[in-house]
Amino acid sequence: MKFIGIVGTNAKKSYNRMLLQFMQKHFANKAEIEILELKDVPMFNESKDQSDSPIIQEFNQKIAASDGVIIATPEHNHSIPAALKSIIEWLSFNLHPLDGKAVMIVGASYNIQGSSRAQLHLRQILDAPGVNASVMPGSEFLLGKAQDAFDDKGNLKAQRTIDFLDSCFAKFMKFSDIIAQMNIPEDITYEPGTFKVTAVGHNGDLPMEVTLSDDRIEKIDIDTSSETQGIADVAFKRIPQQIIDGQTLNVDVVSGASITSRGVVDGVAKAVKMAGANPDILKKRKKSNGPNKQNVVEYQTDVVVVGAGGAGLTAAARTIQQGKKAIVLEKFPAIGGNTVRAGGPMNAADPEWQNKFEEITGERHTLKEISEIDEKTIDAEYLADFKALKKQINEYLKENEDQKAYLFDSKLLHRIQTYLGGKRTDLKGNKIYGQYDLVKELTDHALESVKWLEDIGVKFDKSQVTMPVGALWRRGHKPLGSQGFAFIEALKKYLESNDGQIITDTAAKELIIEDGQVKGIIARSSDGKKIIVHAKAVVLASGGFGANTKMLKKYNTYWSNIDDNIKTTNSPAITGDGIRLGQSAGAELVGMGFSQMMPVSDPETGELFSGLQVPPQNFVMVNQKGKRFVNEYGSRDELTKAAIDNGSLFYLIADDAIKETAYNTSQAQIDKQVEQGTLYRDDTLEGLAKQVGMDPATFVKTINDYNSYVDVGEDPEFHKSAFDLKVEKAPFYATPRKPAVHHTMGGLKIDTDAHVINQDEKIIPGLYAAGEVAGGIHAGNRLGGNSLSDIFTFGRIAANNALKDME
Amino acid sequence: MKLVGIVGTNSSESTNRRLLQYMKQHYSEQAEIEICEIDEIPVFNEPEDKTAPQAVQVLSDKIAASDGVIFATPEYDHSIPAVLKNAIEWLSYTTRPLINKPVMIIGASLGALGTSRAQAHLRQILEAPELKALIMPNVEYLLGRALEAFDDDGNMVYKDKAKELDNDFIEFLSFVKLTEKLTANSKFFEISKQFSWKQVANGEDM
Repeated sequence: MKFIGIVGTNAKKSYNRMLLQFMQKHFANKAEIEILELKDVPMFNESKDQSDSPIIQEFNQKIAASDGVIIATPEHNHSIPAALKSIIEWLSFNLHPLDGKAVMIVGASYNIQGSSRAQLHLRQILDAPGVNASVMPGSEFLLGKAQDAFDDKGNLKAQRTIDFLDSCFAKFMKFSDIIAQMNIPEDITYEPGTFKVTAVGHNGDLPMEVTLSDDRIEKIDIDTSSETQGIADVAFKRIPQQIIDGQTLNVDVVSGASITSRGVVDGVAKAVKMAGANPDILKKRKKSNGPNKQNVVEYQTDVVVVGAGGAGLTAAARTIQQGKKAIVLEKFPAIGGNTVRAGGPMNAADPEWQNKFEEITGERHTLKEISEIDEKTIDAEYLADFKALKKQINEYLKENEDQKAYLFDSKLLHRIQTYLGGKRTDLKGNKIYGQYDLVKELTDHALESVKWLEDIGVKFDKSQVTMPVGALWRRGHKPLGSQGFAFIEALKKYLESNDGQIITDTAAKELIIEDGQVKGIIARSSDGKKIIVHAKAVVLASGGFGANTKMLKKYNTYWSNIDDNIKTTNSPAITGDGIRLGQSAGAELVGMGFSQMMPVSDPETGELFSGLQVPPQNFVMVNQKGKRFVNEYGSRDELTKAAIDNGSLFYLIADDAIKETAYNTSQAQIDKQVEQGTLYRDDTLEGLAKQVGMDPATFVKTINDYNSYVDVGEDPEFHKSAFDLKVEKAPFYATPRKPAVHHTMGGLKIDTDAHVINQDEKIIPGLYAAGEVAGGIHAGNRLGGNSLSDIFTFGRIAANNALKDME
Repeated sequence: MKLVGIVGTNSSESTNRRLLQYMKQHYSEQAEIEICEIDEIPVFNEPEDKTAPQAVQVLSDKIAASDGVIFATPEYDHSIPAVLKNAIEWLSYTTRPLINKPVMIIGASLGALGTSRAQAHLRQILEAPELKALIMPNVEYLLGRALEAFDDDGNMVYKDKAKELDNDFIEFLSFVKLTEKLTANSKFFEISKQFSWKQVANGEDM
């Protein structure tokens, strides 16, 4: 993490400066704090704009690039010093770097008050609309009698004070993380064109023309010829400028001309709507940070990576590990892509570890079923492996014939399940299954990826083997800490402490190709800068196209229908950028028609972790009539197809004991959702059925039947293959679910070295792809938990070969 | 009666300046109001020698020679402008002419709120021990939508606001007279002149 510390005074001697210097030193292993001084900041004057001066720009750019700001303020005359107020005024006039930025306030003073009143004023000031900082509430750090507080080395003397500062700072680290997540903007695309709308003038409506390209507001022309001169002129000039500079509709209205200011904003909003986009997304964006003076920025590196999700950060980290330079471009302000949205467990067969756990009901049956598959149905490349696996399974079953067994696994089982899970036929009769060499590469090296992540700093929970939805087997390595974010956090930390560079808010637009060799990327930052990165290799790791409904519909050959308003579990950044970049270099695409739906998504948001999301052995799925309709342990698309056939909307049923097994929730969250009506709870099954609108008798029978199947370990209706808990202990819950787009299996064709392959089956020199952007591995359906194995394995492979090819 | 009116901004266009000019002209029979600008005052940086720069000394002398001070403040980011705070910091750090000086706070803004939050801050600031101004209580003159408040001759268009200012100004004149009695033989005055936070903390005096 990188913070900016501002010394709130320009005085030569300052205890606030000492406090920041102490924090810089004391927290060096947690975060980098760069201290900025006010000495050269001119007095704010709205008539003499100096927003472009080097000193103001230094504050502007450093604050904008930081994860948060710490302001150390003295108290002068019961308020903050003029010098501090002056920089805040500069940074809320034409520039707005503090908008939405996490801010921590500390202060030191001679007397016992410790700048208490100045801190309160500063809070109010930072809350003003032009500043709009996100000031951390509570944790008021006041250092009174500062002249006695430090020793000769500039360290705070009192342990209690240090302890309190530690707790304030720890809270701020968390706070700035949360604020960063709040600032993630949604992507927007327009139907390009010039749209005629109107602006509001003093003498009636004025004609206005708004020109939009596919991703930018390019021009706003207002015909003011019928308008009288006045303050409104400023609005007609300044508001369009702010809108274009910041690509935002969150602009400061011009004081005294608020009606005309809002008129311009409303007019542009209307044009945005006419271009098929939602103007609310632009209204939620940050304020403009002023026009960017430096229009082209160039970088030189060894490997440039597109996309700062798990695959991209892995490729960059692996590059740096081998002593080379890497730059990661991320079009969003926050990194993590879809990886931060992952549930957490990553598949890797690790029998040594898994064997320490007992089998659970149904697993033996699954193995038996696999071993009984007719060899004629197995595709030739996989046959030898299938036979070898069959032998393993038979030995295991024989060994444990009369006893409770341990949990079985092997690379072969992982490989065959990935193959079988991905085998599909689309609506046109095209058959698809995972490309053998790629699936072998993945399953052979997945465990190495776990080990590698541990070296990078990811800690795994060794106490349980989990199975995410649709994984088919318990082989999930779950990180400690918060879900997919744990991976990103560790990788980010590794890159930051090893000179890796991540450039956010910057979308890759073009590949630089010279004599058939890919030599870098041309990108555009969200504030309009052109970024050119010259590199020896380009790794595309920008994910699939799950958040691009148009592209999904264009390629879809698998689902009978994809709704225009289908929800997705993906980050809105996942729009197929890397696939388009690859195509521009002649890349071949594979399996593009196959996409995966997450059957158990929130019907309103597409989110995965709302309601009660439990391990599948505890799932009981019922349709809107209150009947079970599918083997809940089935693959994702079996569940999805069944759900679509049953009217899409269905319910996950849980009792009080099953509730305890839910992922990523808490009693408080559950109570809140019940209150909001997004989760149903009742003391009786009958009551629950009535709440959701099912026939109570049908529903009670369904549950009683299910419980009896759990007792005998056999489900004659849908052949659910693993059970754990019965539904018996009140209160009972029903979580509404609907399928949402989750993963796109198709993408760029790659070889086992992650080279991107062109339409003539040749390697495109200098171009590599890793993760969801590439196709061929998961084919028609990806197993749950395999995407994390994929990104961390092929992310490493891409970097390894990029460096190898350079030699 | 002699009053000093301080324009709380360095902006070349200022409705607060216009408001003071209106008062100067409109109340010329009751008082002489001298309008003072603060744009020439350098940036305050706690110099060790504690000497007032020329521009500060000039302002300070005018305040010292006056019977009262009117602050006309805009509102920047929910508080007073840095440039006004800067002038006040110089005065409090060097000559301290505001101690026991009667003060009236007014403010004009382009928006509707008329500097309500800046005025509240200014009150708290002027009550600091190094300043100790006597701020007129119970009066808060907020002029919103100030850009349209004056006609071409500088007269106030809003009749209700003009009347309110008449009343407030009369009250201020009597407040000035009242404070003369209050501070005639105040012992506090000299002590306040010497006050510094550093001294308090070191237990050196007071």
